Amino acid sequence: MMSRIFWNDRVVPFRPGETIAAALGRAGILSLGPEGGPVRGRVFCGIGACQACVVSVEGGAPVEACLTLATGGLRIGSMPAVGGRND
Amino acid sequence: MTDAPILVVGGGPAGASAAATLAEAGLRVLLVEQRDQLGGAIHRQPALGAAHTVHAPARHRRNWAELARRIDAAGSRIELHTGTVFLGVDGDGRHLFDDRATGRVVARTIRAAVIAVGAVEKIHPFEGWDLPGVMTAGGAQVLLKETGVPPTGPTLVAGTGPLLLAVSAQLAKAGNPPVAVLERGRPWLRVNALLQMVGAGQQLAEAASYAATLLSHWVPYRTGTDILSVREDAAGLEVRVRRSGSVHSLRARHLLVHDGIEPNRVGIPIPDPEAAVPVVLAGDGREILGADAAILDGRRAACMILARLGLRLPDAQVEARLKAARNVQAAISNMFRSALPEPTPETLICRCEARRLSDFRSLPDDASAREIRLMGRFGMGVCQGRFCGSTIAALRGEAVPSVIPPRWPLRPVSLAALADLKTDELES
Repeated sequence: MMSRIFWNDRVVPFRPGETIAAALGRAGILSLGPEGGPVRGRVFCGIGACQACVVSVEGGAPVEACLTLATGGLRIGSMPAVGGRND
Repeated sequence: MTDAPILVVGGGPAGASAAATLAEAGLRVLLVEQRDQLGGAIHRQPALGAAHTVHAPARHRRNWAELARRIDAAGSRIELHTGTVFLGVDGDGRHLFDDRATGRVVARTIRAAVIAVGAVEKIHPFEGWDLPGVMTAGGAQVLLKETGVPPTGPTLVAGTGPLLLAVSAQLAKAGNPPVAVLERGRPWLRVNALLQMVGAGQQLAEAASYAATLLSHWVPYRTGTDILSVREDAAGLEVRVRRSGSVHSLRARHLLVHDGIEPNRVGIPIPDPEAAVPVVLAGDGREILGADAAILDGRRAACMILARLGLRLPDAQVEARLKAARNVQAAISNMFRSALPEPTPETLICRCEARRLSDFRSLPDDASAREIRLMGRFGMGVCQGRFCGSTIAALRGEAVPSVIPPRWPLRPVSLAALADLKTDELES
């Protein structure tokens, strides 16, 4: 199995057994985007509570990067902008 | 119904202790953990296959080894589901779970429930706390335990409480000592609290070992220091801090923040040991008593269930030992107590909905909790108010409500999976 995932089409290596958050952190990816949004995603609480590290997953439901193990070939990316004004 | 298992949500010290105690009494247990391994935050294990160790007190390692042994010994009496997220109790009283491996939502019939979902960190907001590069100290600690690798680049640790010491020492031992530890309180000046800590030899010894590590790595520990704001530029983060009335600017790539912890109670079922399906809380998710007491509290929860089912009398000794833990926590709180700085109007209060303090101030003074949510959008986002709830309560001059209405789903879940809900089909 390939030990790499794709973050917004960027190749990110990972070690078996580690989370998406750990892999992105090692690659120096701190902002989970979307760039230019009112707030940007980032790994924050590390325990699935804050939902700030939720990433979109190709072919599946969005997941918390801090809870979810990286698996070979996984394609993930920024969530759509959140926190837009509702008025 | 008597064939149904006892549900235990959360595989940290409290949940593991409750599950083991129930299984040892001969009951079937359904233990559900969101991660791929048991341990919770305090006993987080290295990623499967990794061989590193992160500096931790020997008693924590011993405590977990013993819990892991008891879980193991229970064998098939404990049905363990890792990678499974508790979604709460739906309108029909069904306990719902999101099995992340299969992408399916399932419901299970249970005989009783112990909810041991731990704590969340409190974060006093400041301008820029929402920026990438800012993370909770506890979250960074969990990542370090999993990977063995500290964040790269200059790191600041700020906020208040003993966890700042622990995380900073662990970062130092792992090869990246923080630039500084910025503690808001002035613990050394709280003489009364220091005296109250006399009964807390283990905790004091632990703190002394962390302090020695920081000293040997030349990490400054600055007390009476507030974070005012954080800005982001091409080189990283510019952190403005105030100490003894003067303002300084520090540079960092990572800012780890932490203002204590509170029980993770948002949306979870209200405890009711007398209900037809009894529900009991355990561990830091019930009351912040620390890692050692969480094991005891898991036992307490299990004994309450056993007593309710007529299988055993409650354990009186447990209550006395929990009281001792409560006294230690009170002394620690007293030691680190400090006044919180007023956030600027531009400070984000509700990150999920991007609502600022100025938005909050524009609401009517007498806005109800419901109006704050529906008109202000505060607490309406995906975290469900786990991080802004206590800030909003403080801004309104109210304590956090002790009863938060149960709600489901506790986490975002796929509509397709919900629509395809299967009952009693949680597969191994």
